[in-house]
Parts: sequence; C-alpha cells; structure tokens
Amino acid sequence: MKEVIFTVNAEIDVPVELDSLLPKNLQDMGIEEIKKIQLPQGNKKISVDELCDVVVNENDDGDATLKVIINGSSMKLKRIGEKMDGGEIIVNGDAGMYVGAEMKSGKITVNGNAECWVGQNLKGGEIVINGNAKDYVGSAYRGDWRGMNGGKITINGNVGTEIGEYMKKGLIVINGNCKIMPGVHQNGGIIMLNGEVEGRAGGEMLKGAIVINGPLKSKLPSFEYEGIVEDPLIKLTKKDEGTQIKGAYYKYIGDFVNNKPKGQLYLSVEHNDPVY
Amino acid sequence: MEYIIKNGTVYDPTNKVDGEKMDICVKDGRIVESVSNNATVLDANNKIVMPGGVDSHSHIAGAKVNTGRTLRPEDSKKDIWNREGLRKGSGFSVPSTYKTGYQYSGMGYTTVIEAAMPPLIARHTHEEFIDLPQIDKAAMPLFGNNWMVLEYLKAGDLNMCAAYVAWLLKATRGFAIKIVNPGGTEAWGWGKNVHGLDDEIPYFGITPRDIVRGLAQVNEMLGLPHSIHVHPNNLGHPGNWETTLETMECVKDIKAKPKFGKRDTVYYNTHLQFHSYGGTSWKDCVSKGVEMAEYVNKNDHLMVDIGQITLDETTTMTADGPMEYDLHMTNGLKWANCDVELETGSGVVPFIYSPKGPVYSLQWAIGLDLFLHANSDKVILTTDHPNAGPFIRYPRVIAWLISEEYRKDWIENRVHKWAAQKSHITDTDREYTMYEIAKITRANTSKVLGLSDDRGHLGLGARADIAIYDIDPEEKNGKKIEKAFLEASYAFKDGEIVVKDGNVVKEVFGNTIYVDAKINEELEAELMKDLTVRFKKYYSVNIENYPVQEAYANQWEPINIDATEIK
Repeated sequence: MKEVIFTVNAEIDVPVELDSLLPKNLQDMGIEEIKKIQLPQGNKKISVDELCDVVVNENDDGDATLKVIINGSSMKLKRIGEKMDGGEIIVNGDAGMYVGAEMKSGKITVNGNAECWVGQNLKGGEIVINGNAKDYVGSAYRGDWRGMNGGKITINGNVGTEIGEYMKKGLIVINGNCKIMPGVHQNGGIIMLNGEVEGRAGGEMLKGAIVINGPLKSKLPSFEYEGIVEDPLIKLTKKDEGTQIKGAYYKYIGDFVNNKPKGQLYLSVEHNDPVY
Repeated sequence: MEYIIKNGTVYDPTNKVDGEKMDICVKDGRIVESVSNNATVLDANNKIVMPGGVDSHSHIAGAKVNTGRTLRPEDSKKDIWNREGLRKGSGFSVPSTYKTGYQYSGMGYTTVIEAAMPPLIARHTHEEFIDLPQIDKAAMPLFGNNWMVLEYLKAGDLNMCAAYVAWLLKATRGFAIKIVNPGGTEAWGWGKNVHGLDDEIPYFGITPRDIVRGLAQVNEMLGLPHSIHVHPNNLGHPGNWETTLETMECVKDIKAKPKFGKRDTVYYNTHLQFHSYGGTSWKDCVSKGVEMAEYVNKNDHLMVDIGQITLDETTTMTADGPMEYDLHMTNGLKWANCDVELETGSGVVPFIYSPKGPVYSLQWAIGLDLFLHANSDKVILTTDHPNAGPFIRYPRVIAWLISEEYRKDWIENRVHKWAAQKSHITDTDREYTMYEIAKITRANTSKVLGLSDDRGHLGLGARADIAIYDIDPEEKNGKKIEKAFLEASYAFKDGEIVVKDGNVVKEVFGNTIYVDAKINEELEAELMKDLTVRFKKYYSVNIENYPVQEAYANQWEPINIDATEIK
C-alpha cells in the first residue's frame, strides 16, 4: 500500500485546483516528481512543494490501493478528487468546490465541511462529508440534463439548496438539515433526507424517490397522495430489486407539473402532518 | 513577404490542375508568377496543396449562435481551447468566436459565410465577426419571411422588392438573399406553419412559391454575386423530398445574370440532406438521396450543399422556428425560440445524433447517398454547422468520401442497420479523389458565391489563401485522412503563414464582405418614403438607427453592384 500525505503549509488567498492529485496519477510517481506537479491557481500555477509538505509511505502488504491524505485543507482547495477513478482520498479539514465531481470510482472522505457542487455529475464511487456541505450536492453541471449517474454521497451535516438536481441513478444520504428544492428535476436514484427539510422537495421530478425522515416544512401541491405505507420497498424500475426502508410514511407521486410523473415522495408519519 | 511553395502536389479545380507537381509563388498577399531570390522557400514535397477552404454555409456568429452558447453551458465545458499565446475559448458545437476562427484556420479554411442573419440583429453578427480571427466572412440576411418582401411580392411590385433587398443588404452589410422556410416562420407567429409550396401564408395570402420565385427574380434583376440561398419548406419531415423537388423546379426558367462573379446557377439549396426524405413517417422513411442527386446532376440552374450528419451531440439552430419546436417536441430537450419583429424568427434545440439511433443513421446515410451519387461539380461539403454536426468534423466527412473501406467500417460496426437497409449507400464503391475534394470545399463554393475571381483557386492574381496538407493523395486510411485535414501542415491567409502543423502561429483579422448595390435614386426615394412609415408604425427601432455603421468590421470588403436600371 502506498500513502501520499500532503500537509498544507502555505497561506493562500487565490484558490488552488487539485484535480491532478488523483491516486491513479500518483501511483507511479516518486516524491520528487510529486513535489514538482504544477497546480492551477487563478491565472497562474503553483507547484505542490510551494503549497504543502509531501510525505510518501510505502509498504509491501500486497494492497495496490493508493491513499491520498490532505492535511490542513481549507475551502481554498478546489476540485479535490475530480474525475477520480479508484483509490482513496482523505481530506482533513474543509474541501472547496467540486470535491469528487465526475468521479468514477474510489472513495473520498472529508473530515470537515465542503463547499458547493460535491459530487457534481458523480458516476460511481463514494463520497462522505463528515461536516456540512453547501448547495448542489450531486447535481448536474449547469445546463446539463444528465445528472449524477451512480455512486453514493453521504453528508453527515447540513446541506444547502438544489441537491440531486437531474439525478439519474445512485444514492444521496443527508443526515442533517436540507434547504429548498432537494431532487429538483430528479430523474432516478434515491435521496434520503434524515433531518429537517425546508421545502419544495422533488420540484419537477419525473422518476426516482425522495425519502424524508424529518419534517418537511412545506410540500409542493403538485404531488398526489397515495396513502400511508409501512416499511416500503422502493422500486425505481421494473427490474429493480428494490430498496427497503423502515417506518411508516405518507406516500406521494409527482411532480404533476410534468406529464405522467413517476417520482415517489415519502414523508415520515412521525414528523409530518397528514396533508393530502 | 515572399514565399515559394516548392514541389507540392497541387489540386486547383478552377484552373484544372489535378495533382500536378508544381511551385506556387506568393508575393504581397497574392499568387504571382515568380518571386525574387529573397523568397522564403517552403518544401511541400509529398504534401498536397489546395486553395484555402471556402465554406458557403455555416452558423458562426449572431443571435442564434449566441443563444446556443447561452442555452448550453454544458456544451461549452465539453471542449476547452487553451493554447499558449492565443485567446482562450470553449464550446464543442457552438464554439466561442476566437475558437471558431482558430479551428477553421487550423483546417485550412480562409473564408466562411454565416448563413442566416436576422437583419435587425445584424449589428450583433458583425460585432462577433470583429472577434472572429483568421478568416474572411460574410453574412446572409434573411428575406423569406420579411413583411416588406411579402407585401411587395403580394402587390406584384418586383422593382420595389428589389430596391428593398438592395437597401437591406447595404443597411445590414449583408451578402446574399437567404430564404428559410419561406412563409413558414411568419406563419409560426400565428401558431401555424406552411408545408407545401402552394400553402397559403396567413394574412399575406401569398405562397412559398411566390416568395422563392419572386426573390429569385429580384436576385437576378439586381445581379447579385450569389444566387438565392434556400432552406425550403418542410425541413426534416419524412416525405419532404417532393416539396424540395417542387421548390427546385419552380425557378428553373429564370436565367442567371450576375453582375459580379461567375456563377451560372439561380438557386442554391442548402443542407439538402434534411430535405431528401421519402416515406410518410419515420417508420417507413427511406433515403431519396439518389433521386435528388440525379435531379441535381441533370439540371444546370442549381447547386446544393449537403449538411452531412456527423453523428455527434450538437446544437441545432435555425430561423425555421416551427421546425425547432417540432424538434423540441421530439427529443424533449430544452429549447429557445425567438421572434424578430417583422423579419424572421428562430429556434435553438440541443440534439444528439446517436450512431445507435435508426433514424440518425439513416440521415447520415442520406447525406452520403447525395455525395456519392451527385456530380462533384454540383455539390458542396457542409455539415450546416452546427445543425448536422460541428464544422471540425469536415475532415471526417472527407474521410468517409475518400475511403470506401472507412465508410464500410462505419456501416458495419458503428451505425444502426437502417443506414444500409433504407439507403443506397452500399450500392456504390465510389471514392472521391483529392481533386473532387478540392472542388466540393473550394472551387464550387467560391464559384457559387460569386467570389471565384480571387478566391478558391491558385491562379495568378488570386489571393494567397492556401492550405497545405501532409497526406498522400492515394491514402485510404480514414484516421490518417481525418488527421491530415484537421491539422493543416500550413495555412496561408493573404500571403502570410497563419497555421503551421495545425497550430495557429499568427493571428490575423480578415475582411467582412458585403454587397453594396446601387439603386435608382427615384426608386430609393420612393422606398424610403414607404419604409419610414413602416418603421414608425411597426418597428421598435428608428430607421436612422437601423443601418450597421462603418465601425462594425476590422475591414470591409464591399462588392459594388450597379442596379440603377431598375426603375
């Protein structure tokens, strides 16, 4: 197993983009080579050794995974793990915008907060943010109608608005609170919201499911009430084996601003008033 | 600066040079007989030399192109242009202005015509032209749904119509008469469309036939360098080949009388691929490419460009508003639509021509049917950029035409079986020669545009717009052909090397070509009286604020025409 540890030691003002520090890219590099990697910083470039100390640990335990650890990270470090394809990244500190954007496989853990666009257009792999995240978690790139297409994002803190926009596949779990419009234009996949949700869940959704285990402050009127369901098995397609969730839920279908929508919205009976 | 390009294999169809080894001398921006000993020598041995490419139909600037960019940030992200020393740019199907110029230049193109300019938004088109480096450009204003044109034609007043066309070309610094879905876009303002050539246009009561014929006559009365440039009715609908044939046929009796240039045609049918569909629905749709090609071969009054589908994800944009609405209803993707006061309309819709899709594969085959069965003197290579595919796919289209083997590979392994089943693409083993490629990308285009005096050829006195490609004339490897034509070994613009090994090495800003047709003073006075009233009554701008001013180009290149005999 190879471990590359970056410890940020520079005071930076203009954000630096770290999308070239992917485990796969660093696999065959020596420490000197890593130190010379040029990272975009605004309209200039900065080399890795100007930004941080680098330590490489290697042992022959037969494990081929490469682990990248970024210590002392801040919101000024953007695009961590963008387009990552395998390996693991651990961020100790905050992560800037686009952490794990377009990631294909592997795992990213952020032991801190994250800026906007966590896992934008995620294709696979797993992202865990142990703090809060801002807007557009697991959303599509601006203008695109083909959003997150697989993988799993877990945010243990709170999130902002428009998470899972145009989501097609995969799972987003939010353990904290959520602002407006989770699952806007959702087209598949599951969003689990375990905290309080401000409102407009599933606006213009066509397919997929949103499960709200906390209170939803205001529900869109364009969802149709289906009844109370106990321990529902969420099936998103005919071939889908289903995802089992536990508890009693008010089930709605929507969003009826679209033609023939199949979006499922589950509101926990425990935390919500019966509104239909 | 003097250059001598030595030992290149030259293809110059205008001067009947077919693969001869010869030297080309360049001095002061022109091609000359000889140069002094100080000339820089360029060894073009084992390379082919052609005139700079001329594209007669592309959408590179103006309102709808910009709407396409705004509508599709995701397209912008798809292709980022970032080369040392050059302006950054982005966009795959609707690239930004600088990127457009650089990429055309990289392919050895030197003149490109923007095929649809809403007259009211001419200033915006020219503003983008200012920021479009490397190429000479011109724009064709839209006339086919213009209220003034429709009313003059309704009244049967061809003279006033001609005066108006001349005035508008000058006011908008336009180049030729563009007609898009004649009458249909105006009908779209009423929530309708016209399909056949003899359908009545709401309110005006005339028909598409009247518009096409009327404007064709006006075009020849004025003696404009280019003929009418037509996108007929019914674009993209199965069974539309009959409408297209009728439209082509309806101007057959009109004679070409250009006062500038050497064209002998009175009609130009653009993106013919979109107009060559048989059958009654997409289920029974078949290629009518061969039939259309036969018509084109037999008749002398017209030229066509193809609008070859390249099977990419792209952005469609046209002044044919109702057609774009249909397209949006078909694919359900986002769309933008616009009405340009009294003049025209437009729509923009992203589109994915997937090679796995039966209909898209058939459309691809129809384009190739046209290419492979038509006389190479009568067709022009376009993709109707970006409607059927982005212009950076021209090299791929060239590869499909030159190499049967490459084409077969696509038919057998890449596209849906409908391509072979419903077209005649596999009936022919025709392969284009380099000479023919030079025709369909240079000689034919410059002639049909009326620009062949000094463009599109390498004769003495011509502009030194030259493209050199590093390829063996007998090469049949599709990938190699594509690479060679995508990255020109050298490109000259006005006698200067602007591209080397596919990279832009010098930034130049070309001319904006427009037509300045002088009309009789009395007729003009009468026209202005009429227009002043209309502007006051209908337009949101004053007539004084309408014309494009002198400052709106890096350098104007007027084509002066005397049409004062029209009274």
